Amino acid sequence: MRGITGYYLEPDKRLTMKNKVKIHRVVQDLTQEQLAGLVQVSRQTIHAIESGKYVPSTLLALKLAQVLQVDVHTLFELEVADWKS
Amino acid sequence: MKTKLLFPNVCKGIGLFLFLSGLFGGIAMIIWELSPVFFDINVFAIVEDPVLSEKKYFTWIENNILDEILGSLLILGGLLLAFSREKTEDEFIATLRMESLLWATYINYGVLLLSFWFLFSLTFYWVLILNIFTLLLFFNARYYWILFRTRQAADHEE
Repeated sequence: MRGITGYYLEPDKRLTMKNKVKIHRVVQDLTQEQLAGLVQVSRQTIHAIESGKYVPSTLLALKLAQVLQVDVHTLFELEVADWKS
Repeated sequence: MKTKLLFPNVCKGIGLFLFLSGLFGGIAMIIWELSPVFFDINVFAIVEDPVLSEKKYFTWIENNILDEILGSLLILGGLLLAFSREKTEDEFIATLRMESLLWATYINYGVLLLSFWFLFSLTFYWVLILNIFTLLLFFNARYYWILFRTRQAADHEE
């Protein structure tokens, strides 16, 4: 049974969808905690997004893009695997 | 996904206290067959169906309410513990909660299904009694374990 929780038993497995949240966070000189506060989520959520274990909602993705001052397509990239259910 | 159906974060501590009180009290009651006279009171029964007597409706009966108290503590405590907001409640936590609920439901009914076919008589009666509480127990165990692992992973990264 796939799901986020399954991936916490196998820490090296990435769900899908590449993202550059960590890169742009570092460029903006923000910690995970600071970024979490700015987009109103927990630090665990930012960590989960950066490590590819969680795909954020549209709303959260747009907030991240706005805070990191980049376009949302720059932050998140579709992969071939994303088209498979 | 935001929901208004969660309890405030402060209820989590209360829930833990009630849940553990009910759990340890229940275990003690089963092991030592506790039934203190202090808890023998008259209670209102909508239906009373004793083994060797006629069924009665809307009547007062004498009953030891220790098991009712401990069961209520387990259920109320388990619900408060399971469905209280985290300090930072967000979509990721909501997803963890939902997946844990799904997992707990599968495990709970999987165990019950196996019990149907491999446990009988009085042993099965105890399975049914415990099954009242196991969904909440499995959910809380799974949810808080996953929450602990995610926090550990995030702390490691920092």
